[in-house]
Amino acid sequence: MDTLGYLGQGFGVAMTPYNLITALVGTLIGTVVGLLPGLGPINGVALLIPVAFALGLPPESALILLAAVYLGCEYGGRISSILLNIPGEASTVMTTLDGYPMARQGLGGVALSLSAWSSFIGAFIATCGMVLFAPLLARWAIAFGPAEYFVLMVFAIVALGGMAGDRPLKTFIAALLGLFLSTLGIDANSGVYRFTFGSIHVADGIQFVVLVLGLFSVSEILLLLEKTHHGQAAVKATGRMLFNLREAAGVFTVNLRCGLLGFALGVLPGAGATLASAVAYMTEKKLAGAGGRFGQGDPRGLAAPETAIGASACGAMVPMLTLGVPGSGTTAVMIGALTLYNITPGPLLFQNQPEIVWGLIASLFIANLMLIVLNVPMIRLFTRILAVPNWLLVPLIAIITAIGVYAVHATTFDLFLMVGIGVFGYILRKLDFPLSPLLLGFILGGLMEQNLRRALSISNGELSILWSGPITLGTWALVALMLALPLVRIARRRAQGRRVPAEA
Amino acid sequence: MLFQRLFSAGWLIACLAFAAIAWGYHAPFSYEPVGPRAFPLLMLGLMAVALAWQLLRPVPLRQAADEPPLDRAALLKVAGCIGLLLVYAGLFEPLGFIASSWLLGAAMARLYGGRWRAALSCSALLSVGLYLLFDKALDVPLPLGILGFLEI
Amino acid sequence: MPLPFARLLLAGTALLFASHLMAEPKRPECIAPASPGGGFDLTCKLAQSALVDAKLLSKPMRVTYMPGGVGAVAYNAVVAQRPADAGTLTAWSSGSLLNLAQGKFGRFDENAVKWLAAVGTSYGAIAVRNDSPYRTLDDLVKALKADPGKVVIGSGGTVGSQDWMQTALVARAAGIDPRNLRYVALEGGGEIATALLGGHIQVGSTDISDSMPHIQGGQMRVLAVFAEKRLEDPAMADIPTAREQGYDIVWPVVRGFYLGPKVSDADYAWWKQAFDTLLASDDFARLRDQRELFPFALTGAELDAYVKKQVADYRTLAREFGLIQ
Repeated sequence: MDTLGYLGQGFGVAMTPYNLITALVGTLIGTVVGLLPGLGPINGVALLIPVAFALGLPPESALILLAAVYLGCEYGGRISSILLNIPGEASTVMTTLDGYPMARQGLGGVALSLSAWSSFIGAFIATCGMVLFAPLLARWAIAFGPAEYFVLMVFAIVALGGMAGDRPLKTFIAALLGLFLSTLGIDANSGVYRFTFGSIHVADGIQFVVLVLGLFSVSEILLLLEKTHHGQAAVKATGRMLFNLREAAGVFTVNLRCGLLGFALGVLPGAGATLASAVAYMTEKKLAGAGGRFGQGDPRGLAAPETAIGASACGAMVPMLTLGVPGSGTTAVMIGALTLYNITPGPLLFQNQPEIVWGLIASLFIANLMLIVLNVPMIRLFTRILAVPNWLLVPLIAIITAIGVYAVHATTFDLFLMVGIGVFGYILRKLDFPLSPLLLGFILGGLMEQNLRRALSISNGELSILWSGPITLGTWALVALMLALPLVRIARRRAQGRRVPAEA
Repeated sequence: MLFQRLFSAGWLIACLAFAAIAWGYHAPFSYEPVGPRAFPLLMLGLMAVALAWQLLRPVPLRQAADEPPLDRAALLKVAGCIGLLLVYAGLFEPLGFIASSWLLGAAMARLYGGRWRAALSCSALLSVGLYLLFDKALDVPLPLGILGFLEI
Repeated sequence: MPLPFARLLLAGTALLFASHLMAEPKRPECIAPASPGGGFDLTCKLAQSALVDAKLLSKPMRVTYMPGGVGAVAYNAVVAQRPADAGTLTAWSSGSLLNLAQGKFGRFDENAVKWLAAVGTSYGAIAVRNDSPYRTLDDLVKALKADPGKVVIGSGGTVGSQDWMQTALVARAAGIDPRNLRYVALEGGGEIATALLGGHIQVGSTDISDSMPHIQGGQMRVLAVFAEKRLEDPAMADIPTAREQGYDIVWPVVRGFYLGPKVSDADYAWWKQAFDTLLASDDFARLRDQRELFPFALTGAELDAYVKKQVADYRTLAREFGLIQ
């Protein structure tokens, strides 16, 4: 086996003490950067590239450092989602749904360790997938054209319907608002500026960080003020830090399913972790049916998105390594870093510089292991955040949020916009509108509209392009399945209902 | 309930106004039949219908078990907090990060029940510490403002 | 790590002894008007490392990201908020000029800033998948003439962007209205490559630097590069220009920097001097090559003239295509 030989060689490179320390430092820095709302893997990786270069790190070590920071940031992002209900980036929106309720029940430590475990499994599955199928996966990634992406987005939006719960109308309105907001700014197909009112600040639309921090962080600050006014604590201090065996066993099948799903979606350039986590969460919610307490702190609801994020974070490396195409914003920055080292990611990399590729894959394995080893003892430290009194914690959140928003554009316009969005978000929350459908609608909406129109430009307006390929047909079948599942359940309940009186 | 209705009504009007604006969008060059205005119009249309429904038959709000009722004093505080954040946004660049964050931090700490002395000293530490963390360690450039003379 | 330390020490002593006539600007900062990872980021990072390596600056410039409208947000921020800040360089590209020409930069025009330097360029190119029936630009033009609705052209930008412009120029060369093309706006060079390789589009209107890895990998071919003459890079010497195939289309993508309008003449002169020294050095050429940029060096008044002419040309072009009135 060539592959195993190369992988062994890769581990040989990654396991030297020097590189192990590099990986450790990388995961630590990554966790800290990711912890800060508004700063994510892009910042972490962009930050360390010049450092790695200035330190004169050899290419393998630099890659290991970057991979470690990348995964560390992904991990750090969930800490604020779980403990404070502030998702720092798009993919962790789903983590708040069950993570925060868990923290409110005093299970913050359990939620953190369970999410670390889940994303470890996800990443492990994905890395194994990379080892086994990397060259094949390149074909899967390029098979997705605009039509395929459009149908995929339809699937995701239909899956969003599962979020409706007991307030379908409000969920619907929130999702529509998100979809609408995604149309702000320049229209990528026609170049028309939509709803910008001549302001250049929204020429590219609303930045996601501004939206998410406004909706979640600012509104949370205002809600906390109310609670402080009435003398309530936000989140109970946490007792247990580690999940127990029963909890791990309870989510194991979820881990497996969502790991595969996250990997398959993570490999697609541009779809990424957000889509993967949303679809994973919805699918698990559907599968759990009435037996789940999704949205109220169900461990499965936490494990599903976390596994998917972990898997897709690694999956995003596949298009980068095999095609030289960035699978996400972070990998775009990484490609820039690689070119500095005269490494051109792309089809030739596997042939010409296998040691780099396999070194990177091996370092993904190691960084993942490092993360879990490093972070489980640190959970105690993280949960201490909750012991900080509100009068200190809230100004801290407010200032960090402002920095996160300012860092996007370096203009104060965004700060005002964030406050405005925050007030709106606060009212929405008071009126019992769910905010996560809004955010997902915002992310998926842009992709859905642009890909539909791209597909139609390709086909010259022929609608049949939307169902002519095997992938589109397969995805439509999944859409139908997703729509049919609740009907099946209703039918089954009716059948049961009929049987019960018969027995009585 | 009344507030919810008013809010929905306002939102509905905004929706229709946006739709009116969207109606005017057309591309000088269009390579597909959908065009730049169809998607926003569809979203706004659906949203308007949903909002109209909501306006006619508002769903009574569920009061979460642990949620305190909103009284006048709390509302005033919330309004004050929003005001503070807006002032902060306005002063962020002119005063610089450290000075404006110190002011915001202290005022907010007071609002959230901290003592004067603790509020002033902790927020001073916070603003300087965060400046060093972000500007120096994490390479996120922050404005120095009135403290610009400190850096040579 | 003894090495960087030694280097730092060296740089420090060199600074002590080098008697500059003028002090370098305080808090040097490079605004990249885009998110991290794009071309503007690359331009800033190039200047950042080159200026320190050449000992023109004692410490590296900070890089600030200010995305929005291909530079519009940064342009307005510099002109309105820090016009006199001598330490602030802002990166621009031909794409910024093109948008400026179409009035997409708000209330300011090309006379609002001090154009400082152009440090390198890339060139537009037309790429196809390896198994494409088109072998030359002529083949493509013939196919377009026969039926423009048969060829799916994908590019990295919306209508009015650089990629669209070069596609429109090819269409005009074929004697057809750009409106009749089958055109898909994708996002950036990466998406063009994936769409080409996946067979979703047949022709990619792109940038030579973005496509090189795939050309070397043997999956893509370039029908024509829009440069004045063949590129000198050995890997690109075989790529024919549009000119030599009888189509007079040249489409450089120049990258450079500008300063705020109220920066003093002395500071402007200091920067110009710094860039003149830099652009003449071999070390810089090496750094530039590493980032897949081709030589293009202009500073000061010459650059100012170039920019103004370019903007005027773009404006004419945009008017001819009916993008502006």
